[in-house]
Amino acid sequence: MSIAAPPSTMADKGLKGGSLGLVAVIVIGVASTAPGYSLAAGIGGIAAKAKEHSPFIMLFAFVPMACIAASFYYLNKADPDCGTNFTWGVRAFGPKAGWIAGWGCIVADLVIMPNLAGVSGQYLVLLFSEKAAQNIYLTTTIGVLFIIAMCWICWKGIELSARSQVVLLGTEMLILTIFAVVSLSKAFKGITKIADVTGDDGVVTATTYQSMKPSLSWLSPKGVSTSDIIAGLVLAVFIYWGWDTCVSVNEEAKDSATTPGRAAVLSTVILLVIYLITAFGAVALLGPNFVSDNSGDAIYALGKVALPSFLLKLLIIAVLTSAAASCQTTILPATRTMLSMGSHGAVPEKFARIDPRRLTPDFSTWFFGVGSIAWYLLLVIVSHNTNTDLYSSSIGAVGLAIAVYYGLSGISCIVFFRRWVLKSAKNFLLMGVLPGFGGVVLLYVFVRTVFDNVKADGDHVLLITGTGLLLAGVPIMLVCAAKYKKFFSYRPDPVETVKDPNSNDTLAAPLGTYVKGR
Amino acid sequence: MAVLVAGIGGDGSGAAAARTAARVANLMGATLVLVFGYDPTRLGPRGGPLEEEILAIGERAIDEVKAEILGLYPDLDIESEFVQDRAVEALIRVAQARHAEVIAVGHGGEGPMRGALLGSITYEMVHRAPVPVLVVPDEAETE
Repeated sequence: MSIAAPPSTMADKGLKGGSLGLVAVIVIGVASTAPGYSLAAGIGGIAAKAKEHSPFIMLFAFVPMACIAASFYYLNKADPDCGTNFTWGVRAFGPKAGWIAGWGCIVADLVIMPNLAGVSGQYLVLLFSEKAAQNIYLTTTIGVLFIIAMCWICWKGIELSARSQVVLLGTEMLILTIFAVVSLSKAFKGITKIADVTGDDGVVTATTYQSMKPSLSWLSPKGVSTSDIIAGLVLAVFIYWGWDTCVSVNEEAKDSATTPGRAAVLSTVILLVIYLITAFGAVALLGPNFVSDNSGDAIYALGKVALPSFLLKLLIIAVLTSAAASCQTTILPATRTMLSMGSHGAVPEKFARIDPRRLTPDFSTWFFGVGSIAWYLLLVIVSHNTNTDLYSSSIGAVGLAIAVYYGLSGISCIVFFRRWVLKSAKNFLLMGVLPGFGGVVLLYVFVRTVFDNVKADGDHVLLITGTGLLLAGVPIMLVCAAKYKKFFSYRPDPVETVKDPNSNDTLAAPLGTYVKGR
Repeated sequence: MAVLVAGIGGDGSGAAAARTAARVANLMGATLVLVFGYDPTRLGPRGGPLEEEILAIGERAIDEVKAEILGLYPDLDIESEFVQDRAVEALIRVAQARHAEVIAVGHGGEGPMRGALLGSITYEMVHRAPVPVLVVPDEAETE
């Protein structure tokens, strides 16, 4: 079993791949955030909490995520391990905390899979027939096939060429922009729609939706309660999920000193602008209640009002391709965390197995696939029988898991680099203030969401999936601790061994160098 | 000195192509360069164990092929390159850098349709290579 050798020796072993240009780095960053799918999945729940202030929530959620990206950037310099949060957690806090951070990452990825599969199944059917999209058996079957297809793609190691990605993402952005512009112009003119809405009690009532004139006040939190802001945030952190890893953990543009920085800034601007205008458009078109009443397929419902049918079809396709891209960026980090945990001896070694032909972690990929399908079917059955909104709840649950493992990363950064944090003003800001702020905000969002939902006897699906799955990691971790004594004897990197992340030599000693009793 | 390049997969695919290339290189008095290209997809984190395990797989595959060829042609000059790029790019880059005469690749037996759709290395190689390509069926007997 090999233990992390410094990648510098690895680079010596072979030629490095061709470095990526600015456009490619931006495209990868934006595509892995999957704006089309994120909007389709998130906007309904966000609008239910924040009403017309949804644009504010969507902007605000970016702040803690961007702060955490700073910690990813620095921690990745010390150890560019595919286990990311897991490895960094071990280095900062020791094996138990690291194990839980890895678990948090896997749980977040697992919890989002039903949503991805569900949205894909639903939108694929919507492309052909609106009526058939109500058929839960049809959409579920397609959802399961979708998960299998995505795992297969990850297992085969298939990747779109940079050019096809540019085309796909370009189309997605264009169609979202058209949607936003048309929605806004209709809202300025003023439109009304009367629709039958089935309430929780099953009674159908005719509801009149009225468009709203967009206002800059939607960018302020004024008039939204703190609880609603928190509830909105837990949903909205999800829409930026994926942005950070691809922007901050991208070594390929390394030989250029400016590309990664520029790409980070530009992809951020693109994302913020697209989320902002679509949020404005979505809320303005027929008011926030229309969005939240149709939270199951909000983008489709909105698109149907705003766009002619061929553009609506394009919008659906944009959501679908975006979901496919997102699926890949969900499966890959999860399986690579498992691979890293297996390779470092924190879980059975099988998880580290790599298919020699395809050079991908095969056991981890299919294990994750089977787990996702089981979890998806369980949620479909539960939500079908209890008539709860599976999709919004699972977005919230993902938000909880993200909040925990990102929050931990932020704190890990400060703890790991404590020797260097106070050395300069720049260090203090980038390694201390930003990760600390992001970490505290996210951990607070987690605690507050759990607290609010327990107190108000609120969303049980959210609580059970969000916190239950995270807590389930503790007994599993203890079983592993009893079995894998070597890994659990590792201790955090001693503070004096941590190298200056601004110097040329930033790599930490291999994981497992520091062991208890030595 | 003349150079021939042969691609080896992590599962040992391409071994037959390497044997054929070795035979030619031996006749020509040329150097044989065995190339292992690997590229953990760009999406998502990739460092640490992922790269190590993949490199270990590549080393094992290349060592095996090398040992076999040296058994047949003990005096042949064999080198190996590990390139972090897709197999096709890796082969083309090494072939260009070393001014190779020929690139030898294996062929797993997939049909033209399947090869075109699923990105067969052979298919892409034949269309993109800057130098002559030697395609050798993976199960071919060379002796």
